[in-house]
Formats: sequence, C-alpha cells, structure tokens
Amino acid sequence: MTASVAGEAAILDWIRTLGSRGPVFFPQKIGRQSLGFQPVRRESVLEFAGYHPTLAPPGKRLAPAVEVLFQYRSTPDRGLEFSPPPQPPGQILAGVRSCDLKAIHLMDRVNGAAPGDPLYLARRAGTTLLAVDCLQPCDTACFCAAVGSLGWRQGADLFLTPLEEAHYLMEALTPAGATLLAEAGFDPCPDPETHRRRAEARRANPFGRHWPVPVTELPTLLDHQWQSPVWSRHVERCFSCGTCNLVCPTCYCFDVRDDFDLAAPQEGQRQRSPDGCMLPGFAAVAGGHDFRPQPEGRQRHRVRRKFQYLGARHGGDSFCIGCGRCGRQCTAGIDIFAIVTDLIQHREMAP
Amino acid sequence: MTAPSTSGIVPDPTLYLPRPARILEVRDLTARERFFRVALPEPLQHRPGQFVMLSRPGIGEAPISISNGPRGDNILEMVIRKAGSLTGVLHTLKVGDWVGVRGPFGSGFPLAEFQGMDLLFVAGGLGLVPLRSLIQPVLAEAHRYGTLTLICGFRSPAEELYREDLQAWGRQARVLRLVNETASLPWDGGIGLVTDPLATLPLDPARTLAILCGPPVMYKFVITGLDARNVPHDHIFVDLERRMKCGVGKCGHCQINQVYCCQEGPVFRFSAIGPLREALS
Amino acid sequence: MKPRVAFFDFAGCEGCQLAVLNCEEVFLDLLEQVEIVEFREAMSETAHRIDIAFIEGSINREEDAQRLRDIRARSRILVALGACANMGNVQARANFTAPAEHFKRIYGSADRDRVQTDPRFWSLWAHTRVRAVHEIVAVDYRLRGCPMVAEEFLQLVKALISGAQPRQPANPVCVECRLHEFECAFDRGDTCLGQITWGGCAAVCIGQGYRCDGCRGLLPQANLAAHRQLLSERGLSDTDIRNRYRLFGSGEALGEEQRP
Repeated sequence: MTASVAGEAAILDWIRTLGSRGPVFFPQKIGRQSLGFQPVRRESVLEFAGYHPTLAPPGKRLAPAVEVLFQYRSTPDRGLEFSPPPQPPGQILAGVRSCDLKAIHLMDRVNGAAPGDPLYLARRAGTTLLAVDCLQPCDTACFCAAVGSLGWRQGADLFLTPLEEAHYLMEALTPAGATLLAEAGFDPCPDPETHRRRAEARRANPFGRHWPVPVTELPTLLDHQWQSPVWSRHVERCFSCGTCNLVCPTCYCFDVRDDFDLAAPQEGQRQRSPDGCMLPGFAAVAGGHDFRPQPEGRQRHRVRRKFQYLGARHGGDSFCIGCGRCGRQCTAGIDIFAIVTDLIQHREMAP
Repeated sequence: MTAPSTSGIVPDPTLYLPRPARILEVRDLTARERFFRVALPEPLQHRPGQFVMLSRPGIGEAPISISNGPRGDNILEMVIRKAGSLTGVLHTLKVGDWVGVRGPFGSGFPLAEFQGMDLLFVAGGLGLVPLRSLIQPVLAEAHRYGTLTLICGFRSPAEELYREDLQAWGRQARVLRLVNETASLPWDGGIGLVTDPLATLPLDPARTLAILCGPPVMYKFVITGLDARNVPHDHIFVDLERRMKCGVGKCGHCQINQVYCCQEGPVFRFSAIGPLREALS
Repeated sequence: MKPRVAFFDFAGCEGCQLAVLNCEEVFLDLLEQVEIVEFREAMSETAHRIDIAFIEGSINREEDAQRLRDIRARSRILVALGACANMGNVQARANFTAPAEHFKRIYGSADRDRVQTDPRFWSLWAHTRVRAVHEIVAVDYRLRGCPMVAEEFLQLVKALISGAQPRQPANPVCVECRLHEFECAFDRGDTCLGQITWGGCAAVCIGQGYRCDGCRGLLPQANLAAHRQLLSERGLSDTDIRNRYRLFGSGEALGEEQRP
C-alpha cells in the first residue's frame, strides 16, 4: 500500500476540501473546553495539536441518536406496509484516534455478528476513516495502553503517524485509502517503515495510566469479585444519569419507539435511540421484576460488560478502549480505571 | 470505502421490518389475558419455545411467546396479558385488524433430544402459554416419549389459562391443575403450589426431563424440589423472560452476563444458565 | 367522535397554553384530531363532559381547589400541564412564609390587619398553601417543565388518541445533553441540576449555554446527598444550594431528612 509524507497545514487544508464528496467530520471545539466530531466546512478551524477525547466518540456517527428502522403505512384494504429507510449517505471521519478506531473495529464485530445489523453495516460501508496515532497521552484520564488500544491501526483507510517538525506519515491501509491518498497528491514516501520506527521511539513510555496486572487477567479477577465492597463504594455518588454509557465508544444498547405525524396517523416510523444499562429500569421486565434494581448491580454489569462479557462473546481482551470519556464526563467523578484498580487491590488484600 | 471486519456477512435489510399479520380470532382466556390467532403471509416455521416480536405500528413492539406447536402453516397463536401501553392497545384489536410480526427468534426446545424420555412440564401462570407450543407436538406423537406429566399453577380459578386444552391433554398425560386460593370460582383441581406434587410424584431422575416455565421466583423453588428428587441440572430446562427491544442480539436489554436471552435463549438448559449470576433473580 | 379537549388555567402565567398555541406547524392537525371545548387563550365556551382536561397553574385558594374537583369530576383524563400544576413552581416559595407575613409583604401592614379582622376577607385564610394539582385530585399524566415542552405535549396527544401510554422514561436531563452532544454545564464552570431532574426537555437550557435549574422536577431516583455534596464542592453555600433546589421545586416533598 502507498504512503506519503506531508506537513500538518497541507493535510488540514486537504481535509477541508474533502467536504465536496459528502460530510466530513473532524474534532472541533464545542463550548468552552470540549471537542466534538463536527462537520468540516471550508472555514473550519482544524488542528491536530491540543486533541483530547471528544465529548461523543466518532463511532456515534455510525449509530446516530435517532436511527429510523422502517417506515410503515396502514391501509384499510391492504393492511400494513413496511419499507426500510433509504441508504445512508457516505461520510468521512477524520482525526480519529487509535482508541476510537479500535472501538469502531469492536462495533463492527458486534454489529457484524449474525444476524448482522443492516443499518450499522450500511453506514459503516459508506464511511471512510482517517485515523491518527498518538505519541503522547491526551491527558491524565486516558489509559489506552493498558487496554491494548494504543497504536491500533485496523479499520483505518488512512493512518497518520506524527513525525518531527509538524509532518505526518500517511499510510493507505485499504484500497479506498490508497485512492484518496493518490488524489491528494502529497509527496510519496518510499520507506514508511523507518518513519514509523522513529515515531515509535519518540512515543511516551510508559504511556498514560497502567494497572499492576495485564488486562487479560481481568475476566478471572472479575469472576472472583461478584460480591465486593468496591461496587457499592463507587456508586455512593452515582446519579444513575447514564453519561458513562452514552459517551462510551463501545456502548451500543438501544431503545426503540414508534412515532407518527399527527396529520397522517396511518403512517409513521419506528426508530431507535441509544439506551444505557446504568439508567434505572434498563433490565426491568413487563411483570415489574428488575434484574438490576440497584446502582451497584448496574455498575458491576457495566464494568463486567467491558472487561469480560463482550470479549467472551465477540472475541478480544477488552471492550473498554481506555479513552477515559466515562470518567472525564462523570460529574460524580466515577472512573472505570479507578474501579478496576480498586478491584485489583481488593483481590490482593483478600486472603 | 473500507469493509467491516465481518464483511463476509451480507446483512438482511429487512431484519427490523415486521411482516403484516391479520387477526383471525380473538378470545378472552381470563379478565387480563386474551388469546390471539393471526395469519402470516407465509409459514411461521418455528420451533417450540421460540418467540416473535409483535408490534402495532405507531404504538410499539414487544417479545411475545409463540403458543402453538409447529404445524407447517402460517398460523401464529399468542396470549397477551394486558400490562402496558402496547398490550393495552392489542387488547382493543378485533378480527380483521393487522399487527406486525418479526421472527420467530430464539433457541426453542431441543425436541429431538426429548424422545424416549419422561417429560415433566411445570408451568406457573402465563408460563403455560409458551409450554403449549411444546406440549402440542409432544402429545401429537406421544408414543415417542415416556410418561408425560404437566403441573400447572394459577393464582386463582379465575386466572386459569387454556382450560379446554388442559382437559383434552388430560386424556394423554397426567395433568395436575393447582391454584393458590379458590375464593373466586368453583374449582375442580388441586390447591397448593406447583412445588407441592414434586415430593411425591413418581419420577425416575435418570430418564426424566423437567421443563419449567413461569415467573423468576418459581424456578428457585421448583429446582430445589427437583434437586431433592436427584434430577440432574442438565435434565432441567427453563424458559426465561427478559426485556427485549430487538430480538436479534443487538439492543443489549436481555443480556445475562455474556449470554443474550434472545439468541441463546429464552430456553436454556439449567446446567448452562443456572451458574450465571442474575439469570434467575 | 373526536376526543373533547379542554384547557383550564389556575395560578400561573398561561405560558404553557401559549406554548400549545405555538405548536404552529401541527396545531391545525391537532384540531383535525380533537375538539377543543374550553381554551381561555383561544376561545370561551364551557363543556359538561370532557375527555382530556389540561390543567395549568398551581392551586392557591380553596375556591380554586373546588373548581379543580369539579373539572376532575367531568373529565375522563386529567393532565397536569407545566411546572405550576405539577409542583407549585416559584409561587410555592410562599409556602415557606407564614401567611400573615406573606400578606404583609404584598399588601402592607394595614391591609394585612384588615384582612385578619374583617370577616368579609376571612375566606382568604381557608387555604393559604400553594398546592400542585395532584395534591387535590388524581392526575393521569404529567407534562413537566416551565413552560411545558411542545414535543412532549404532541407525544401525549398522539399516545392518547391512539389508545397508548405516553413514553416518559425517568431519565435525567444528562441523557439529553449526551445525545445532543452538549458540553456539560459543570465543564463551563457552572453548576447544574440536570442529574436529579426529569429529562424530556431536549436540554434546551444547557444547549443555549445556560444550566438546568430543575423546572421539570425531582427524579424518583435522584441521589440528592451526592448532588448536594457536588454543589458544595463547587463552591455553593448551603443557602445557595437551598435556593437552587427551591427555585422551581419548593412545592415538592423532598423528604425532611433531605430538604436543604
């Protein structure tokens, strides 16, 4: 596959021009101090420097807040008619970091597992990913290296590695990426391997936060800690607000509801929206029984889902990708890294 | 454009699209439960113990047990308890009205493995509804199985479901009908809990399969009773209820640890699901 | 037959009824589906039998309570419309002041004394507590907020005309902020009641750069102890915190042990 080297300004100028092909999303400022994957316009202020995880991960562009499942029409003579939603438009997600790239890869697995989710997979097939490697941790909250997300490349069409003097190595990892790169017309790079090695040498080491045990040991560790004081300790301040679920790049649970137009009640649509297992009632059944009525149980389910359940089901060590969004955006300051740290310590304290 | 890592799978674009089904029969079984027979555009092709996602467009969708045995036709029978928004609207529907059906979904009962075994069915309340989809084909070929016993419990005589069926089944199987109290109506069955007969029932644990369907609290007590009779846990099947929004392993609501109730269940061998936390309570 | 719908207002600003009228795009569609029989903001007529009664405003006087009971008696479904009807709203702050003191503040000492001594005014003392609608009659549905949210109003009407129940999950405002990708008010250096407040408002206030002041009321699962601690850590005094909770929610029963 092809590779190029280009300066940051030239790359960002080029990304600004890609909008003519369809929507392009790149991390841009939201509010006072936050970033979000926002549509790129010609006048957009783009930069790689100063990146820290966006409020919502880029993968949410593959699972929108409202996704129409189908349209329906009811007629007295022919009964009910159902039609699938139109094909989603193509899009480019640029400036995606390795942690979020791994999350998209994991969501590809979840949604690709039989029976494949047609809506996600259609959006995904129309999505081009321009990912960027990190040589320094975003901030003190992330722990991507501890969960195997650092340097993740799989799933990217183009993968950018920061070089010295504000230059980037741009490697095409798919035919689509190669076409895009060829059209960009940057200087070709005959020896990406050397550049990559040099960048690797400049990468911070250790990189961000780490646990004293490898992530592969967490499933067993969690198995022995079903009843642990750690669970209640970390929900004393929990608001059950669902933020940790809704900002997580590997939370994909959804709720479904129907809607119709008041002017034409015989036709309407069914749609889904993100749901969260920390919200009360998520596991309640029609008869009223709730399998996780307390926040402790919900927190335990969330943590075990990330480090145990989903890996067991879909393969992979950790569905937590270490972006730190849940802890960073929790107003109660509940940090999944700290929960796991406590579980590890608690295990060591146990006889 | 990049293909997802699972590009080998061609997704079915109609996964979330119901098929229109026309109501052929509506009948009250109790004050709260109503029987529905609907016709699908093509054969249902289900296994006993599977479920469908039943919907009324504009209102919503919910998982509903299939109550009829597989007959190769396009008929779907269900019992709907009026419990919420959707079921409330379903109760207002009449013959000729339309509903949407997706499925069948879920694992169902491994009927082939049941052959030659004594079968003990234990149903609590609405649990009889999915069990009927199994009892029907079993009784249709009763010679293939050993002793057949059904214990079913209801809160009161007024809540008894499928009264005519239970009487008809009594000609081929041992049917024990129990209620907690008899204040509401005259009652010709027994009084007590479904666990009561377990202690004295003639039962060979080596050749008995116990098939349980009822509320979560029932499982705990029935399994304790079966333990006392040395029925091994891989001879016990449970049919679990969970909240479901999709029926196809995507919405996350029915997850029991790494197991998706809508995919691997809702029927489980107790030896497999019992050890999982949150499975029964 | 179209459902007969009526709107009644009690102590409030009638902003919720205006919000209904402001559903311009769908208001005519609404009239296709329902028959509006009483609506002070738009017409004057009185009906004996009502299918859906929308009640706006808090109940401040005993004669209002009697009128409300009469409405309840002739209504199949009763909906509390907006923060005043649901929780008393800002006027319920008067409940923290002795009635005589309250009269004095508004009318002065001389008039206060007259109201106390002249029998013609004694009926004013019959009930001096500002009450929410559910404290007097059974409420079938609630449309929360100051003002109520047009989209929720429409969803309720659509559910009722199709025989369904409206979907109002007990989710906090935070859910709306995350789905709309709004920056958290705490990250802007502000403090917010979003975590303990009923969502369903699309978090409009936070989206506009403000914060949540709790106009939709306290969630049943609200972790008030944690919230109070958080506000305190962010520099709010006990008085500040009490005032923030009471701004809209003073009529709500927080429970004595939790009341700031």
